[in-house]
Amino acid sequence: MTEQESYLRANEVDRTFGDVTALADVSVEIPGGSVVALIGPNGSGKTTLLRVLTGLLAPTDGDVTYEGPSAARPLGYLPQEPAFRPGYTTAETAAFYARLVDDDPAELLERVGLGSVPNRRVEALSGGMTRLLGIAQALAGDPPVLALDEPASGLDPVMSRRVFDILESLAADGHAVVVTSHDLPLVERSADLVVVLDRGSVVTADTPAALRDRTGGPLHETFTSLVEADDVVSVRTEATR
Amino acid sequence: MTGRLDSFWVVFAREVRGAARSRTYLLLALALTLVVFGLAGAGDGPSAGYVPTVVDVLLVVEVLVPAVAFAVGYRAITDDAVRGTLDVLATYPLPPWAYVLGVYAGRAVALLSVVLVPLSLLGVVVAVSAAPATTVFATHRGVDSPLLFVRFLALTAGFALTALAIAIAISALADSRRRAILLALVGLLVVVVGADVTVLQALTGGHVDADFGTLLGVSPASAYRGLVFETVLYVAFSERAGFVAVPVAAAGLLAWSLAALLVATLAVGSRRA
Repeated sequence: MTEQESYLRANEVDRTFGDVTALADVSVEIPGGSVVALIGPNGSGKTTLLRVLTGLLAPTDGDVTYEGPSAARPLGYLPQEPAFRPGYTTAETAAFYARLVDDDPAELLERVGLGSVPNRRVEALSGGMTRLLGIAQALAGDPPVLALDEPASGLDPVMSRRVFDILESLAADGHAVVVTSHDLPLVERSADLVVVLDRGSVVTADTPAALRDRTGGPLHETFTSLVEADDVVSVRTEATR
Repeated sequence: MTGRLDSFWVVFAREVRGAARSRTYLLLALALTLVVFGLAGAGDGPSAGYVPTVVDVLLVVEVLVPAVAFAVGYRAITDDAVRGTLDVLATYPLPPWAYVLGVYAGRAVALLSVVLVPLSLLGVVVAVSAAPATTVFATHRGVDSPLLFVRFLALTAGFALTALAIAIAISALADSRRRAILLALVGLLVVVVGADVTVLQALTGGHVDADFGTLLGVSPASAYRGLVFETVLYVAFSERAGFVAVPVAAAGLLAWSLAALLVATLAVGSRRA
């Protein structure tokens, strides 16, 4: 990864839900032209951090600043389980989002490989195709920053790889891509920077190669050595903070 | 770049398209047609004229119209929230007011079609079956007229739009479909009887220093009923009816609508950080 200017920056972000601390003193930088992967065990705060970064969730403390280029839609967002209003076709759904930002729905569908099924109703799409339609929606308006919550979750290996290929090409085009994922081999292959979260805190942030060098094995080994693997779900409360 | 008003039209078009494809609205319209025609037929209003027909159907319309409005609107925003669409839309240049107004206006087209088509058909039946005297346009008290029925339709449309605004506000406040159903039932109860009971309690308890006609204008159902009596059924009375203060009743319906849409806008805005 070459040195790129930051498009999105979180500074000392805290986020609590009642007694539960989801994020504690998290600082992250999302540079343009790169894929940043947020990884960590279930409940480590990945989705919360992504929602804070996109402005969908206000931090309890700290701040998030957008530093990318001026755009009608600075941030594109793919939720963890994208769902669309039933009764509409793929093309109509893409058109709805595209018209909000003066984009071309047909081109959006082509970019994610759904150009051949414009008339298929969204409820008839497979899980993978629904996710691809979600990515098409996230791309509408060509936002400089793309925040994608587990874009390859539940997909077969071919589809997962295809999704990450799209993310890589977006980063190559200059977008800042921040993605949460449990698919460590794909993260290792595609990410320029990996942020490891555990119990709401950043354990480490480095390139996949640097992380791999710590254990000499694949990213999976580094990951298990960094997080407290004996916990099925890691949750931090005020009492344990 | 897409303007704020353009984004309103995008949401509006989506709602209208969805409504046009929904069989539920067609069924609602059919059910309403059966009820109003059944009532009017039982009361023999259509053969007597427009005003007798309004008398036949008013009570049921007063209950059914808000019920239909709630059926059309109670999940309008909740569904988008549950699907995560509201989160996604928050990343677009779509302000909460444009979204809420787009949803409201789109659903209003559906609601008005469901409500006004059956009632207009009833008006047509009156036109072809009532006595010749009903075809004149009333210029003085005591004369039946199609104009009175048009007024009834306009007032019913206003009442329906007010009920829809309240339903949209409820759908914006509900965070699940189950809660949307519960809140809608409570809201419907408030619109149909709750507000009337509160007004009556305030009057009988002496808590409010205002005349009856003015206070009734505060309740949506009473305001609608009062306006129908004052502007449609008044021809049947020898003197001015005085059921409700017309300006207060009209302002009351408008205020309920605006307040409900404001609540919906604030609720949608509060979902964003």
